[in-house]
Amino acid sequence: MATPNPNPTANSIKSGKWIRSTCKMCLHTCSNMIHVTDDGVINKIEGDPTNPSNAGKLCPKGNSGIMRHYDPERFKQPMKRTNPEKGPGVDPMWEPISWEEALETTAREIKKSVDEDPRKVLPSIEDFQKMHIWNWPMAIGTTNFFQSGGTMCGGAYHPLNGYVHSTFGAVNDAPYCNFWLSNGAGDGFSSHLHAAAQSHWVAKARVERGMKVVTVEPRMSIAAAKAEEWVPIRPATDRHFAMAMSYVLVEEGLCDYEFLRKDTNAPYLVGPEEKFVRNADGQMYVWDSSDNRAKLWNDESIDNENLALDGTYEVEGIQCRPAFQVYRDTLAETSPEKTAELTTIPPDTVRRIARDFAKAATIGSTIKLDDGRTVPLRPAAYNYYRGAQGRKTGMQTNQAFQLVNMLIGNIDHPGGRIGVTLTDQCVDNNHCFPGECGQMLGTPHQLGPMPPFAWPPNEYHLGGMFPVGVHPPHLNMLSYTEPEKWGSTFTPDVIVNCHSNPVWSIQGPRDKWLEFIKSMRFIVCVDIIPTEMTDFADIILPSHDYLESYNATMIEPPHTEGICFRQPATEPLYDTKSEEDIFNEISDRMGVLDNYNEVINIILGFHQKEHLMLQPGIKYDEKEIAERVGKLWNDKPIEWYMEHGHSSTERRLDKKYRPWEGMRLNFYIEDLVTEREKLKATFKEHNVPQEIYDEWPFDDYQPLPTSVLDPIHLEPEEYDLYGITFKDIQMNFGESLSNPWIKDITYRDPVHSGLLLNTQTAEKKGLVDGDIVLVESPHGKLYGRVRTTQGMHHETLGVSNSLSRTKTESRSVLTAGGHYNDLLPYDMTNTDGATGQPETSCRVKLTKLDDWPDFLKDGMSVYSFVNDLENKRGKGGQH
Amino acid sequence: MARMGMVFDLKACIGCNACVIGCKQENSLPDGVFFTKTLSEEYGVYPAANRVYIPTICNQCEDAPCEKVCPTGATYTREDGIVMVDDAKCIGCSTCAVACPYDMRTQMEAESFLNGLFGDGELTPFEEQGYGRYTPGTVHKCDFCSQRVDVGLDPACVVTCPTNARIFGDLDDPESAPAKMIVERKGRPPLPEKNTKPKVFYVN
Amino acid sequence: MAIADKVFSGDTFKVGYRFQRHWDNSMAYAFFCAEAGAGLFFVSMLLGSVPGMIIGLIPVATGKPYFHLSHMGVPARSWRAALRPDRSWISRGLLGLSALIGFGGLLVLCLMFGSQFGVEANSAAITILKLLAGGFALMTMTYQGFAMSHSSAIAIWNSAVLPLSSFIYSLAAGVTIARLVVSSAESATLVDAQLLLLLSVGIMHLMLLHAAWHGTPGARTSTELLLQTNYAKWFWGLTVAAGIVLPALLVWVAPTSMVASIVACAGMLVGFMAWRILIFKIGLYEPILSMNPFNPMQ
Repeated sequence: MATPNPNPTANSIKSGKWIRSTCKMCLHTCSNMIHVTDDGVINKIEGDPTNPSNAGKLCPKGNSGIMRHYDPERFKQPMKRTNPEKGPGVDPMWEPISWEEALETTAREIKKSVDEDPRKVLPSIEDFQKMHIWNWPMAIGTTNFFQSGGTMCGGAYHPLNGYVHSTFGAVNDAPYCNFWLSNGAGDGFSSHLHAAAQSHWVAKARVERGMKVVTVEPRMSIAAAKAEEWVPIRPATDRHFAMAMSYVLVEEGLCDYEFLRKDTNAPYLVGPEEKFVRNADGQMYVWDSSDNRAKLWNDESIDNENLALDGTYEVEGIQCRPAFQVYRDTLAETSPEKTAELTTIPPDTVRRIARDFAKAATIGSTIKLDDGRTVPLRPAAYNYYRGAQGRKTGMQTNQAFQLVNMLIGNIDHPGGRIGVTLTDQCVDNNHCFPGECGQMLGTPHQLGPMPPFAWPPNEYHLGGMFPVGVHPPHLNMLSYTEPEKWGSTFTPDVIVNCHSNPVWSIQGPRDKWLEFIKSMRFIVCVDIIPTEMTDFADIILPSHDYLESYNATMIEPPHTEGICFRQPATEPLYDTKSEEDIFNEISDRMGVLDNYNEVINIILGFHQKEHLMLQPGIKYDEKEIAERVGKLWNDKPIEWYMEHGHSSTERRLDKKYRPWEGMRLNFYIEDLVTEREKLKATFKEHNVPQEIYDEWPFDDYQPLPTSVLDPIHLEPEEYDLYGITFKDIQMNFGESLSNPWIKDITYRDPVHSGLLLNTQTAEKKGLVDGDIVLVESPHGKLYGRVRTTQGMHHETLGVSNSLSRTKTESRSVLTAGGHYNDLLPYDMTNTDGATGQPETSCRVKLTKLDDWPDFLKDGMSVYSFVNDLENKRGKGGQH
Repeated sequence: MARMGMVFDLKACIGCNACVIGCKQENSLPDGVFFTKTLSEEYGVYPAANRVYIPTICNQCEDAPCEKVCPTGATYTREDGIVMVDDAKCIGCSTCAVACPYDMRTQMEAESFLNGLFGDGELTPFEEQGYGRYTPGTVHKCDFCSQRVDVGLDPACVVTCPTNARIFGDLDDPESAPAKMIVERKGRPPLPEKNTKPKVFYVN
Repeated sequence: MAIADKVFSGDTFKVGYRFQRHWDNSMAYAFFCAEAGAGLFFVSMLLGSVPGMIIGLIPVATGKPYFHLSHMGVPARSWRAALRPDRSWISRGLLGLSALIGFGGLLVLCLMFGSQFGVEANSAAITILKLLAGGFALMTMTYQGFAMSHSSAIAIWNSAVLPLSSFIYSLAAGVTIARLVVSSAESATLVDAQLLLLLSVGIMHLMLLHAAWHGTPGARTSTELLLQTNYAKWFWGLTVAAGIVLPALLVWVAPTSMVASIVACAGMLVGFMAWRILIFKIGLYEPILSMNPFNPMQ
């Protein structure tokens, strides 16, 4: 080995120290190491190899943190607006003010509305790494919510996972999987859970064990590019594909019948009103085909292998079928042949994939785990997420995907579909609880309980009308535009915004959203850099960035568990405060500090170890809270966490595989039938107007998926294409397009530098690569430039998230021709009555234009930048 | 003596470009300069279309044309096979750049050191502590993070790659990861017909 | 595959061809100055014309260094370019150029003022100077072609035709300008030489482009760039029409006309300059790796 350079110029080798910390460039927590020079400059960030999750790897976002930290546009001190005019890119004419004035003003203005009616406050706070900040609004008694969280990624996904796994998320078990079916998801390739970590796990499986990937998506995404097979599918038809696959599994006898009989409620008998048949004591029935009679589910004479899955029976005079038979009957409508025209997937392809999938699952095989248990080995799994699940029929769509997994018996089995908890809080916490009659309790409230029902509503977003859903912030627009119809008895006039950018992320009519925001009496933004949202703030409260702050969290790591710890690498660069200090101060000045401390206790689970609980009257800073989260997990003091950076270990086997042992999984979700009935009764009880009752989509509550068409397919025919949007790893789960390094790699990639249109389709429309087009949906429009590609479904237009920024005060953000989200609906017709999930695709039509509209001619758009890159013939290396 | 080389696993690479940014971090590269890039190529006709992600880097050629044509001796090969650039000797004639069949040499333009990464004429502290290693006008390239190699570390791009698509090591050691991979998975160098004897190989 | 179907990456991360722009217009002017100047010097020396030799040395001593310095990334260190004559054509060229300026200048001085110091025009000293200056002039006329053809990177440059083309072009430029500045009895021979050299220049182009068209994908694509895109009008209009055809016609039809000679000279030099610029513009880096089994990069 050569002698080390005494005066190194390579940044990681320069004299300095390494600090173990956690990344925050997206909402997940890969462990990292920050190198700080002797002069206190952060000059390198690398992954921490001691965390088995990301194993020393970082995605491009994690590698770009330094450019966030030293971004010259960072907010450097508290500021107030002096320009009364508000608008996109309009200069607020910030005037620096003292923290005292900023906090006093903020507290006063929020309190003013809280005193009148707490519902007048719209929190716009969402930080998965700091749930205690996210839930601050509980301290002031408002359940409003004005941030896209959930609906644009996994609105229906989470409640359904709660029903199936009793977890927040789910993932294919890469360490054992041999056949990975990817449907509208990016795990392992471009996005979702701990992107760098998951990519690492999936690559290992593919390269070292030859795991096969089949990707079903409208776009040739990275998952499709790396797959052995890409199956283009028409957008918003994924449920029908999954049901067609299920049809094959069921009709060709390819299911894991032992699992269905023993570990699910598939054998439970369902009566004519979609409810299980019960005896007078409420106990449910099954059919024992060896005795040929009905028995109670817990009858000791039952041998699981004799439980009937098929057939119609009569029990106490009631006609009934096992839940499996109910689904089987529905599946008759969704054979591969019957769904081919809708999905545009040839029936033979579906059959082949289903058979290969079932074969790879090696139904019947087992594996001995390191903890001594012998469990089923099912190395085939169906991965799905945002693109496939973001439907008006969200709940049943998600369920259709999970049922494919359930039919082959892979739920929470090695190689199969694994539930991923959001956070366990303590090491020994299991997340599965017994429910009724031997079933596992379905826990749809993975993000916390929904607000209680009220009419008139107490939430501007009508969340109380979604008892098993997730906040539907796009429905704020319903209350805003039709207050009389939707029963608004209050008008929000304060937005408390932190770490969120609803102007960028909520779907619906942009002009009306901006009007809504402008109508606020007071807006405070807690943030790091200018965004589309901060353009509208009255007060800016600048917070520390992730290289200057403390935190401790576990946030849905796919194959590991434990706390990831964040600590400052340098002193704050500017006059900023931690988010904890900011909200402590505001709470204190509003007189709700004790409330807030109790909220933190509840949210972070400190009740589980009483000595950790926050006491009234004390303001606990970020370090003290982080310390408690660490101790709650494994009793280790903060010094231990400061040294190790994390307490991440491989997922404990009893929590990963069959954590519900002895309980039956919800093949059939009777709870949804019950909730539907309850909701109808509640509507009546509360005298909800008949108009609303009549249009309310109660039918979205289904115990099993149906073959109903999503309303997107019923839009006018003139909109002859389907629009979809997407992100890849440089953009997922965060704002990164203001970062010069991220811009470098994003706009040099052809899929992120134009509107993707199938080459043959473009030809038919008389369009060529480079044409400027107007894109219109029934709900909105956007401008862009066509990029033809062979990698798009022939009826689909792909709009990367890189083409979604609109005018903002930030100079480094490149604007595009509008925002994809403007093309999306916001009404109840396009919203899942069960979960609040809105439709996230749209029908569009294209019109060729001769030139850009004026607002895109200022040379500052994405398209000018891309032009420069593509036509670069400059001197030297930068060519 | 060692012969440091690299293998790119085209099956693993997901085109995320974490390597590109890891390199920019490590080497304080000015705006628009990349010592490594991960390219993409689409081919085929829908629905049988394909895309492949192809990492590229200086191939540290054994018969390096950039070294041969360099009039000042600024480009030289060190004992372990890494082709180095001595900033102090480079005159910026760019002859190396037109001699490299892989277009891996980059001239550091004075403008970029003045404009900075945010293009506003102000350098961030990161840039201030890093730009000094380059004389504006000189022509540089990847050096396999030679300073990291000297202390037993792998290059920055290798270390950060989420899918382990970059395998680095001594090609003269038959047990090294890259040497084994070249044999087992039939590694091939890029543009072999250019006769530069690259020490970077690709496997499918 | 037509050029319209080929991928040019620009500054994006697409696999494709990339334009060579390291050696750009500055280098082209420098190359032109060196070749035209050295060619004129050489021809003038053979014809015994001191004014011709001086005019030839001017661009060599001023234009070439100036344009090279303006191209150089770190001009202050340019002297280092002379350090590796063992391997580098740049070093050899710099040394050869310096020797040409030195010996050529000395020769001119001796021819002009030597007799005052007892150095006659036919003396051994002058002969040696002529040999040296002539040799280094030949080297200067040729070495730039070698510098380009030396490496395999830019396929269309990677041809033995290039040094030959440099030499022939230099000689042609030398003869063309000499006809204007040298009053000589060999004017008929010069006319023949000029025609022959113009023809040879044309043959060089033909050889280069024919070989490139049937050569590697990079060479082929460079040729397509030259002949099928907007570069074509500069090539045909300036390099071929103004640079070869027009001067040849004028010289053949009106060999004794001064006006014709001037126009022919201007045309030839414009065509030559255009070629110097074009050959840099069409230089391409080939795609590093293509996984496409249908090979559209061919």
